Amino acid sequence: MDLRLIIVLLFFSPALLAQDGAAAVEDDWGDDWGGAGAEGMPFHGFLEAGFGGRLQNDPAAGRRATLGELRFRGETEIVRERWSLALKADIYGDDVESSIDGDVRELVLALAPAGNVDLKIGRQVLTWGTGDFLFLNDLFPKDFVSFFSGRDDEYLKAPASAVRVSMFSKLVNIDLVWTPIFTHDEYLTGERFSFFSAFAGGIVAPDPPLAAQQPARDFSNSELAARLYKTAGAVEYAAYAYSGFWKQPLGITSQQTLFFPRLNVYGASLRRPVLGGIGNVEFAFYDSRDDRSGTDPLVPNSQLRLLFGFERELVARLGLGLQIYGEWTSHHGRLIQNSLTPQFEADRLRTLLTVRLSYRDQRERWRLSLFAFLSPSDSDNYLRPQVHYRLNDNWIFSSGANLFGGTQSHTFFGQLEDNTNAFVRARYSFW
Amino acid sequence: MKADYVASLALVLIGLPLYSHAEDLTDVGEIVRRANLAAYYAGADGRSDARMRIRDSQGREQLRQFTILRRDREDGGDQDFMVFFSRPADVRGMVFQVAKHLDRDDDRWLYLPGLDLVKRISAGDKRTSFVGSHFFYEDVSGRNPSDDHHVLTGSDAQYYVLENTPKDAATAEFKSYTLWVDKQTFLPMKIEYANETGQIYRRVEALEVKLIQGYPTVTRSRMDDLQGGGHTLLEFRYTSFDLGLPEDVFSERSLRNPPRQWLQRPSK
Repeated sequence: MDLRLIIVLLFFSPALLAQDGAAAVEDDWGDDWGGAGAEGMPFHGFLEAGFGGRLQNDPAAGRRATLGELRFRGETEIVRERWSLALKADIYGDDVESSIDGDVRELVLALAPAGNVDLKIGRQVLTWGTGDFLFLNDLFPKDFVSFFSGRDDEYLKAPASAVRVSMFSKLVNIDLVWTPIFTHDEYLTGERFSFFSAFAGGIVAPDPPLAAQQPARDFSNSELAARLYKTAGAVEYAAYAYSGFWKQPLGITSQQTLFFPRLNVYGASLRRPVLGGIGNVEFAFYDSRDDRSGTDPLVPNSQLRLLFGFERELVARLGLGLQIYGEWTSHHGRLIQNSLTPQFEADRLRTLLTVRLSYRDQRERWRLSLFAFLSPSDSDNYLRPQVHYRLNDNWIFSSGANLFGGTQSHTFFGQLEDNTNAFVRARYSFW
Repeated sequence: MKADYVASLALVLIGLPLYSHAEDLTDVGEIVRRANLAAYYAGADGRSDARMRIRDSQGREQLRQFTILRRDREDGGDQDFMVFFSRPADVRGMVFQVAKHLDRDDDRWLYLPGLDLVKRISAGDKRTSFVGSHFFYEDVSGRNPSDDHHVLTGSDAQYYVLENTPKDAATAEFKSYTLWVDKQTFLPMKIEYANETGQIYRRVEALEVKLIQGYPTVTRSRMDDLQGGGHTLLEFRYTSFDLGLPEDVFSERSLRNPPRQWLQRPSK
């Protein structure tokens, strides 16, 4: 099976299939209001082809392709009075990794054991916090490989197998999430994207891909996350806590293997209307438990992270979002003093600005967006222009780019410069 | 379906004495007040399935289907809405929450199920498309009557005819609009929007009215873009009022975990 051929065929066939879509809409308008949803098992999903490649040579990776896949999504759920069971799963053929993979994004049992308690048990995507593509108190797993390769935004969040308990009261609402087995981010391993290695002193794309030592599967190594929140009028308050590990393998053992050092996080956020838009403030203290003194060069130092955000509509359907973000590294002097590669360490204060511009037309057929990460401290940037066209209720075409740039090759986005890529996607949804 | 419609018409007719008044009203403020209540505040709360067929100027169609929950904090005052989308596939599972305020900007949230993300949406232009349709946000949730000057310009056997102009021209794209209010039900049956040159560029018409639990309810209406072309047909079904919706249904809990008890269609 030549996956590339299927993708090309699928991508150029919509004109043919679009006719079906339009006809289906006509029929639906008759008297079809869908099932009441109480007893039946609905089936939904999509078929999607995506193709993307680097816009320049990447000597380290040695290839152009960054996305090449045909993906099938199936979703169903069983809903009963006292419980529900939901399933969302993907199967995809991946031309870049030459594999056929499955991904259960959701298999979750939802219960309401008491009037003011909700329980969700199983594999699920979890999100909280106020940042836009910036996560301070959200320590749930992210998939940066998907994010950088042009898959749908949804794939930025990776699922985790967890138990979520939500308790509601007039005074305050509480969310507790227990992830028994530590679930790390999908970080860059060299398989799809190259990155900077301080050891090598340059850009690498290791083969076999980078592997990290996982924490032992032990209850003491499970992750716990909590959120206390309240909405009072138009103002939203939240406090957060997390106990677990750094979500990327930022530590190096004495045997020179990567590992996930222990981490606690404490923080809070506030979100409210301001100046005709929405403003938010969030902070988080990253307590790096394996190196509180900041002297161990092989484990990251503790950090204070701070975010200010503002978003508003400029004119009808044209939105602007701005964020100012800072990462302040504690004991930075000791870090530099003890570091094996002080020239590659981040500044004491890493600063980042983000700008989001988004536009949709009257009928919401066209959606255009530009998201820009700009770091004054690192002198690097990452731009995400995207265009989505909705042909009808079934077909959506997307195109975009991930443009990385920087003056130095070791900074957060600068190291990704040779991974700069563009992509196209075509999705056929059914219900 | 047909018989159903005839039956409801008959009900409306039988119900006439309930709504008719021996003499016509002459107080325009009272007409506007009653029309606002009839159109947007039936019962203390309500639920309904709704669907839209959006046809653009080139004849291309899109469909939207959703379930609305509404609760009035005060008759004619602030209201809470939740909108649960079920079709098409790319918006299925999205939930939109609005806390409508008369004295300040509405609060709005959108839940994106793929990311499990509760997004706060800034108060935007209310006179722009609601989910891609020809209806505006303000058509769905109601324009504050105190935003306009109202003049009673005519009256026949069936309708009061009102001429309305915005107090602050900057808050609306229209110069004026003409409103036909049914004398029996006080439902606005037709609205025509005129631009600077007096040309009518936008029209909404109620195509079907049913009596539901004693409340005359528009169950089918059509919004036409007379300038750019295209229109949206809006239908309501499985509507019921006075469910006793608790205040806390309108919260983040319902965004992340839709309250199935209240979303169920009423058994007939």
